[in-house]
Amino acid sequence: MTHDAITCKRLILEYLVDYEDGAMPEDVRRDLEWHLEHCPPCLVFLKEYRATGRTLRMLKPKDVPKNLAEAVWGFVISRCRKEE
Amino acid sequence: MAAHEDQNASDLELVRRIKRGDEQGFREMVDRYHARVYSLAYGVLRNSEDAEEATQDAFLTLYRKIGTFDDSKKFFSWFYRVALNAAYSRARRRKPITTVSLEDYVPRYRDDGQASPEFAAFVDGAEDEAIARDLAEHAAEFMDELPPPYRDAIWMVDVEEMKPADVADVLEISLAALKSRLHRARLFVRQRLLEVAAAPPAGGGERRVAP
Ligand SMILES: [Zn+2]
Repeated sequence: MTHDAITCKRLILEYLVDYEDGAMPEDVRRDLEWHLEHCPPCLVFLKEYRATGRTLRMLKPKDVPKNLAEAVWGFVISRCRKEE
Repeated sequence: MAAHEDQNASDLELVRRIKRGDEQGFREMVDRYHARVYSLAYGVLRNSEDAEEATQDAFLTLYRKIGTFDDSKKFFSWFYRVALNAAYSRARRRKPITTVSLEDYVPRYRDDGQASPEFAAFVDGAEDEAIARDLAEHAAEFMDELPPPYRDAIWMVDVEEMKPADVADVLEISLAALKSRLHRARLFVRQRLLEVAAAPPAGGGERRVAP
């Protein structure tokens, strides 16, 4: 594959997920990185894509409510014993 | 992926005990999975009380329906589906789900396939803790606008940091289909975050990103 085969559009729509996931053949990865080095808009796009990922990772709830396990256990067992 | 298989083997051992009516086995299952189920439900409901109730519903379904689980399959995939269903049935009771068309969020190109340059305050902003927290609050709202299949994909991969192959398994779609959903969802969130980062704050005046 020549460097020209990767257009910005293909880089963003077809290759970016696999590139970020590390699931990309070595030669394609090299072409893609060549493109990134020579195409400022795509590099900006990649940075935005990564900043999006970093932002999303902050959404994970930091802690579960206290005694959730006990509440779940009590709820299920009381419901099911009643039914028996 | 030995650790993965060990986890499933040990899940299946618990499943067998629960099928025999062993309450202690169920207790261990609750200890093992309640935090993950809660987090998954929180992604759909974004409210701790609702997520807590959905978690209870999910374990009630687990206890009642464990007989229908085929233990040649991975337990967590089955149970995560149960958990998502529990969360979505609460979400439906709470409010109608309105979703956007993702077509509008695919980046635009010039005729030669080159992207129009969009420079973003948001990339640097995401490095600053206060701004990043503010962006994350907005991102949480944007998740509500995604069609559920896309939200599930992006929540599990990017928020929960699950492996894409595992998420594809939970959603019962191919890995390629999962990656396509994931990418569309990310493009949507990216675009919305850019809009937020570029917009002036509510009080008027120009928004400044810390240097
Ligand atoms: Zn480019």
